[in-house]
Amino acid sequence: MSEILGRVVATERKPNTPHEFHFWTALDSPVGIGTIVRVDGRRPVEGQIPHIYGIVTEGFSYTDLLTPMHDVLGHDGAPGSAGFASAERSEIRLYSAAVLRQIPEEPLQPVPMGDVFLAQEEDVNIALRMDGYLRDGGHTGIPIGVYRAGGTDATIFLDADFLVGPEAAHLNITGVSGLATKTSAVEWILASLFTHFPESRGSIAAVCFNVKGPDLCFLDLPGKLDDGDRALYDKMGVPARPFQNVQYYAPYSARGFSLNTLRSNETLAHNVTPLTWGLREVLQYAEVLLNRDDIDAKADALIDFITRSVIDQTFTDPMLARPHVVQSFADLEDWFRDVLRGLENGNKESWRTHHVATIRKVRNRLSNISVRCAGLVTDSGPVSDLPFGEFEDRATYVVDVANLEEDAQDLIFARIVSKLREHLERRDLGVKHVVVFVDELNKYAPGDGPDTYVRKMLLDIAERGRYLGLVLFSAQQFRSQVHRRVVGNSGTSVFGRMDADELSAPGYAVLSPATRTKLATLEKGQLMIRHPHFTQPIFVRFPRPAVMAGRLGAEQYPQGGEVSLEAAVYRALRARDSSITLQAVEDAIGLHDEGDVLRALAVTLKERPADVLGTFRARLPKRITQSVQQRPQVAALRGAPNDDPYGA
Amino acid sequence: MSIDVLRAIQSLLPDVEIVQSDAPADESYSGAYNEAPRIAAAQCIEGQRLRAHRITGEPEVRFAGFLDGIQRARIACHRNGIPIVDGTVAAVVRVRVNRRFVTWGHRTPIVSRRLYMPLTLLKCEGQTETGGFEIVDTSHDAATGELVSRHPAALRAVAFERVGRDRDEAERKLAELWCADGSEPLFIDGGISGSGRVAAASCAVGVVKSHQTLFADGDALDVVMSLKRGERSSVFALSARQRSPVISWYLRLRDPRGHDAMFGLVRIEVSPTEDVAERANEVSRWVLGEVTPLSLPDGRWDRMAYGIRDCEQFLRAIA
Repeated sequence: MSEILGRVVATERKPNTPHEFHFWTALDSPVGIGTIVRVDGRRPVEGQIPHIYGIVTEGFSYTDLLTPMHDVLGHDGAPGSAGFASAERSEIRLYSAAVLRQIPEEPLQPVPMGDVFLAQEEDVNIALRMDGYLRDGGHTGIPIGVYRAGGTDATIFLDADFLVGPEAAHLNITGVSGLATKTSAVEWILASLFTHFPESRGSIAAVCFNVKGPDLCFLDLPGKLDDGDRALYDKMGVPARPFQNVQYYAPYSARGFSLNTLRSNETLAHNVTPLTWGLREVLQYAEVLLNRDDIDAKADALIDFITRSVIDQTFTDPMLARPHVVQSFADLEDWFRDVLRGLENGNKESWRTHHVATIRKVRNRLSNISVRCAGLVTDSGPVSDLPFGEFEDRATYVVDVANLEEDAQDLIFARIVSKLREHLERRDLGVKHVVVFVDELNKYAPGDGPDTYVRKMLLDIAERGRYLGLVLFSAQQFRSQVHRRVVGNSGTSVFGRMDADELSAPGYAVLSPATRTKLATLEKGQLMIRHPHFTQPIFVRFPRPAVMAGRLGAEQYPQGGEVSLEAAVYRALRARDSSITLQAVEDAIGLHDEGDVLRALAVTLKERPADVLGTFRARLPKRITQSVQQRPQVAALRGAPNDDPYGA
Repeated sequence: MSIDVLRAIQSLLPDVEIVQSDAPADESYSGAYNEAPRIAAAQCIEGQRLRAHRITGEPEVRFAGFLDGIQRARIACHRNGIPIVDGTVAAVVRVRVNRRFVTWGHRTPIVSRRLYMPLTLLKCEGQTETGGFEIVDTSHDAATGELVSRHPAALRAVAFERVGRDRDEAERKLAELWCADGSEPLFIDGGISGSGRVAAASCAVGVVKSHQTLFADGDALDVVMSLKRGERSSVFALSARQRSPVISWYLRLRDPRGHDAMFGLVRIEVSPTEDVAERANEVSRWVLGEVTPLSLPDGRWDRMAYGIRDCEQFLRAIA
């Protein structure tokens, strides 16, 4: 048994309750805010000595001075002479602790007087009710960090059933920017989750949206760790290595043949895949791109009609000049033109109950999408998408939307999450659980502001995702400004260094002033955790993620510049076949125009053929050999007289 | 009041009347406070007559330990006006370790709780214990051996005085233990002449805060009353019946301007020695070294060393 650390005290003014108690310690005790302690009662209750586990939430220190003036008088107003006093005043370290657990749990009584001990590792397991999910044969613990106090070094586990579902789910991270909290924490937690997620609970993958800078662009490259970090990895049984299976997805730039991502360095291109969608993919989520004014009932009906009756089928109508097979935005534009021409020619105001004004409005909005989301939405090209249906266990799919316009970001988020949901509902995604990581919730799910499609999606995941295995890991700087239902549905909450203004929000009133102060001054690598099994927040240390930091990666692997069409095709094809040369690609492209080349490239990449270059060549349209037309000889005009003053 | 005490008394005297008064226990009822103020002559042994001496040199922190005791006495119950007093005495030596006080050598402080009652008047002669509490018979005057008056106030006074004597005894025991153990200076709250072994020990320094008896008369009293901060009186010898001889002097710890004449005035007792002036200066420097921290909010802060206050606080917490 460890040494007695302190003694429980209670006065009429400061009584103990079933939820809080007070104790004093020696001046040099290793107790601080967040320390877990155990109280051993002195009298048995129903034949059992009560053990109470608590976490220190507040600390007080004072001396026997009645007023500071007495100290001034005692030193004749000279602070320097205080050091020569014969003795130091009697001083106390008094702590308040919140009860984590009482054993026996019934009857629930005020904390009795007793001796206080520093919690050992087994005490921590009991105090945080981790003993319920760390038992042999039913271990569902996911290490989140190490609790340290005095000589105690205890791994803190989250319950996988309450992190990923189905009991509870979701994780929310709050912290100020730039202090290695949000991104680092989520990278560490994902690494731990992938290592320790129990086989019995099925497979798991992660889809991470990189919404700013190079944060998540180098998850597959090793980062810098020190001995302390490695010791933490060892302690928690997580390999200190980067993610083993990472796939990156990024749309093209507006020009359409270089990827719009900070991970565009040629040496890292092997696992970067373009993200391009066509008409069908976009039209399903047109609502995302159209604002509330756009989507009245009439417009919605027309879009629905187009999706149901026009897209991907031969559409005929007596009013139209010809049958239409609409498969791209270009086809759709042709169809709209034909419809409007027919209306004008027939001097009609409506067609199939759709008013001409509605048709024009929807045409304008939809046609505009390929411009607003250039690079993501192809005007007529094929689709390149995440491998829905073929997700791999413990794989990470990073979708880089950092450099995209807001509309494109919204569209990507809405479609990918919807697709994940659809596949999980059908149980054909390839994995049983998917963690979706979204940073900047302040932007995507604010507490106030318009009710956007993205916010609705996030709410939907937060409220119903756990039943499907769709888990939201989210992060933001100001938790108080995120929609209450999104953060409220997060079973697990992680807090890094917090801004003092944020901590003054009413949501943090449940924390003691000392805990709030500690949160405002947390050092890097420390987190405060709230989890359904923990009745009070716990402070832990976590190691630096074993992946290359975004900023460092951006320096070591500078972004590839805008390249020529030939070079872009060469890079893309060489990722599939390293024997391909730039010259061979240039020869194949020849004088084909840009659109044809990109279409051929996209088809080739999608088909994944054995003969990459041959397939690419075959997908390029056949061109007629150009012949140089000789200008016919024309007889020269008669020359001007030599004395003509206006002559040349 | 402790229910255990009441049960103990009622097991012996079932018909007593319980006193439920909220009046505080008398903690200061000891001999010195009960004496009438008086002036006594003392034999000056540093020069021909008492005069003021400036203490030379800087104050020194030399005391290794501080000894003090407390007492609590209250009338728990009475039978026909005969008081039964519940008395607690405690004493402790607190030593200074890294400028903080801890109990000396991890020795258990002396704490005892007894019942003080006139057994003769209560017709319980020979009773020495009840319910685990020791009984102290207060039927007779300790000095004269005569039966105490039946007057309740007289009975109470005798009982309280016995409590005070028990406290003195507890302090004396600890002081003798200290003096037998080591030679580090011990700051004792009060005089040291009550014990021959302590009075003869060079390590024991008694510091008397109360001045019911002033050992200076005539011009000597004027000298004592007009001592300035950091000044002491000449050394004088004290010897009395049933007391061991010691040497003593007055020392002013704080500037008395704006206060009464006793402000910051203590009387120091040490064992007799040859070079009394040197010894007086040396010990005075030690006592002056204890003027900070202040013992506020105690009302006797001007004369009380912080180590003594610590002893009292400690004893009040445990007794």
